[in-house]
Amino acid sequence: MTGTDGSRMWRWAAALAPLLLFALLASLFAGCGGKGASTGGGEKRDELVVALGGEREEGYDPTTGWGRYGSPLFQSTLLARDDDLEIVNDLARAYEISEDGLTYTVRIRDDVKFSDGRPLTAEDVVYTYETAAKSGSVVDLNVLEKVVAEDDRTVVFTLKEPMTTFVNLLITMGIVPKHAHGDDYAYNPIGSGPYKMVQWDRGQQMIVEANPLYYGKKPYFKRITFLFLEEDAAFAAARAGEVDMAVVPHTLAANSVPGMRLLRVPSVDNRGICFPCVPAGSSDEEGNPVGNDVTGDMAIRKAVNMAVDRKALVEGVLKGFGSPAYTICDNLPWWNPETVVKDADLEGAKKVLEEGGWKDADGDGIVEKGALKASFTLIYPSSDQTRQSLAMAAADMAKKVGIEMKVEGKSWDDIERLMHSNAVLFGWGSHTPMEMYNVYHGKFRGEGWYNANYYHNPGVDAYMDRALAAGSEEESLEHWKKAQWDGETGLSARGDAPWAWLVNLDHCYFVNEKLDTGKNRIEPHGHGWPITANIVDWRWKD
Amino acid sequence: MFAGRALRLVTLLVALVLFSWLLMSRSPIDPVQAYVGADMNLVSQEQRQQIEEYWGLNDPLPTRMARWFSAIMHGDFGTSMIYRRPVLDVIRERFAASLLLMMTAWALSGAIGMLLGLLAGARSGGMLDRGVRWYCFVIASTPAFWLAILVLMVFAVWLGWAPVGLAVPIGVEASRVSLFSRLHHLILPALTLSMLGVANITLFTRQKVVEALNSEYALFARAKGESERSIVLRHVPRNVALPAVTLLFASFSELFGGSVLVETVFTYPGLGQATVQSALRGDVPLLLGTVIFGALFVFAGNLLADAVYLLIDPRIRELRRVETRELSYEHAE
Repeated sequence: MTGTDGSRMWRWAAALAPLLLFALLASLFAGCGGKGASTGGGEKRDELVVALGGEREEGYDPTTGWGRYGSPLFQSTLLARDDDLEIVNDLARAYEISEDGLTYTVRIRDDVKFSDGRPLTAEDVVYTYETAAKSGSVVDLNVLEKVVAEDDRTVVFTLKEPMTTFVNLLITMGIVPKHAHGDDYAYNPIGSGPYKMVQWDRGQQMIVEANPLYYGKKPYFKRITFLFLEEDAAFAAARAGEVDMAVVPHTLAANSVPGMRLLRVPSVDNRGICFPCVPAGSSDEEGNPVGNDVTGDMAIRKAVNMAVDRKALVEGVLKGFGSPAYTICDNLPWWNPETVVKDADLEGAKKVLEEGGWKDADGDGIVEKGALKASFTLIYPSSDQTRQSLAMAAADMAKKVGIEMKVEGKSWDDIERLMHSNAVLFGWGSHTPMEMYNVYHGKFRGEGWYNANYYHNPGVDAYMDRALAAGSEEESLEHWKKAQWDGETGLSARGDAPWAWLVNLDHCYFVNEKLDTGKNRIEPHGHGWPITANIVDWRWKD
Repeated sequence: MFAGRALRLVTLLVALVLFSWLLMSRSPIDPVQAYVGADMNLVSQEQRQQIEEYWGLNDPLPTRMARWFSAIMHGDFGTSMIYRRPVLDVIRERFAASLLLMMTAWALSGAIGMLLGLLAGARSGGMLDRGVRWYCFVIASTPAFWLAILVLMVFAVWLGWAPVGLAVPIGVEASRVSLFSRLHHLILPALTLSMLGVANITLFTRQKVVEALNSEYALFARAKGESERSIVLRHVPRNVALPAVTLLFASFSELFGGSVLVETVFTYPGLGQATVQSALRGDVPLLLGTVIFGALFVFAGNLLADAVYLLIDPRIRELRRVETRELSYEHAE
């Protein structure tokens, strides 16, 4: 039945008809749709459209964990960190910590109103903390014994034990109004923050408007739309000129987008190798093996730390969008800069190995100590390409000094079972030294994801305990620094080297050329929302 | 007949739910871990226990299952862990968006698919037929999300004809969104989804058309002197319609699956998005809710197919009448 009648042209047209029809319809529609942001061109604007990802599905209620990164947007907090991460007052006029570190007394401002016009009092603060403690969420208030309102303007927090890092909860917890905190609060938040919610199209976007009752610095942008797009869609939106700002993974950061510049924000979003620090042979409560004879030897861990070329990793794997990492908390106020070790120091690494009794007796390129070969497995989460590349590149570097790291990809759930007995490529990075405490303190050995490598140094523990009990964050800093390196020992690569930190990622954003985002802070683990921390300082360039 | 159907549905649902529970119990995802996510180093062991208690995750699986079943009997689907809202609310809200998308895509793929199948089958072996088949094979072997990204890049980014995503315009309040712009946002996801559906329907229809044209009644019609055009228009569609309709309604399940991927790429706030999230983050109540709902949806598709048979095929109508009569005789006896 081959076609002999009718023209071929006609038949092709029939096949193409749906496509043409679509094109016609679409071009009709194109004229009228709500065209996005960047069409504005040169003139000044007080509205923004941004795609920073990270919709909070469970809503914008601080008592269930909203607002711990970036700007709490709708609410405000007792204290805050400034652009240099120093602690400053926000709702608080002043606060003091008792000698024993157990009571925090906070005096709050008396000129603050919620966006519904009602005043914010000490009662609201108490209500917020008491509600959060019961919420069964990521807000961890277990250290809080009680919180009471002494009078309208004074709140007293009593802790079960001294903990200088408690101040971070005063920094991150947005205060909710007791009178308007109902079931649907998370979807219609009312607070004392710089913005108020206009509309939230779940799964799509959120529109916010400047709060006229806000007591702090008035934001420049009167209206901001946050689009909740996946990475690919955010990139497409930037290319299509529909957004003023889009979060971009470093793999796409090398692209250029017309009308936009690349903003690189340094972070403590770090990646490093976690080495089991005890010899093999034991197991944890669930029967997973603990320890590794090779990485249990400090000489091996130090040698890897010296042998890796962090700058090359940044250039090669991160395409330059990052910086070398030396600790879990580079450049944060509690970081000790003396922890920086020499990179790509092959001679030094070989020397350390030799002094540790490791040498290549059989000439196969891998050093041995007696019958033990310097060979172990390095695991990365198989879902993460960057970590895979980092692991492979680091393994090549370690090979140069005779240490063999066999690189293997595993699921997170396998990693949970294997992490006590194998080296793992992890990533941390947070705006509180509590993280260092959790990762390195001896009392957390083998407790969940905390001290996964069973690192234990009583001297380091003592420094960190002192830091927690120090009175204030300021006074604690010195102890945190000494825990990393006190001149003789410490948890950094110069000391016991339980980890080999490799890189800090830069968080990249495509930003409209006309948009000035002020001074961006070092960002924690988690790319996207943290950039809003200084959102009230964003402005349109003249 | 309807009692039988209902029984089948109930047993299907029970089996499905049991199987889902079994899968979840075997799943390596730790719901607390999934809930805590990137904050895992700032949440203490005590807090983890509090989270477990709050969501009732520390009870043994049979207890949780029993609790869930008894709640279901009272129409309570539980609370979603990731949305912190009643599961039914989440599903209702999401399904409204998905339904519009799926039905548009479904109607498009049905109409275009049958038309293309008819055209290709009528001239099998010709240029058009080869073109259509080539298109179908390519589409059928294309991953849905890849096709979606391609469509997105071409029509939204390069040509700028349609928005890059969402179901509503950017930064516009709901009261000011016109029907026009809602449709505008529906175009790309619906187009992608229907492109995926077209392949199956076309190939199937084409096959049936070829069979019909080689049948004895077509030969007889030709012998009577009917033109090829008249045969294709008058005899083929009726004979092809029935199997095509079955396939079309049976494709509800594929539609559901495809929408998951398409919705993700186009940031379309449908049920697919929620299903993916609930599975990845161990949100058992929401996942079970969507599983039950998905099953009902597919079941409804098949039920509709049966109903449509009655409408378009007199033979089945007749059969049905006879059956019912026999059935009532039996009951009378």
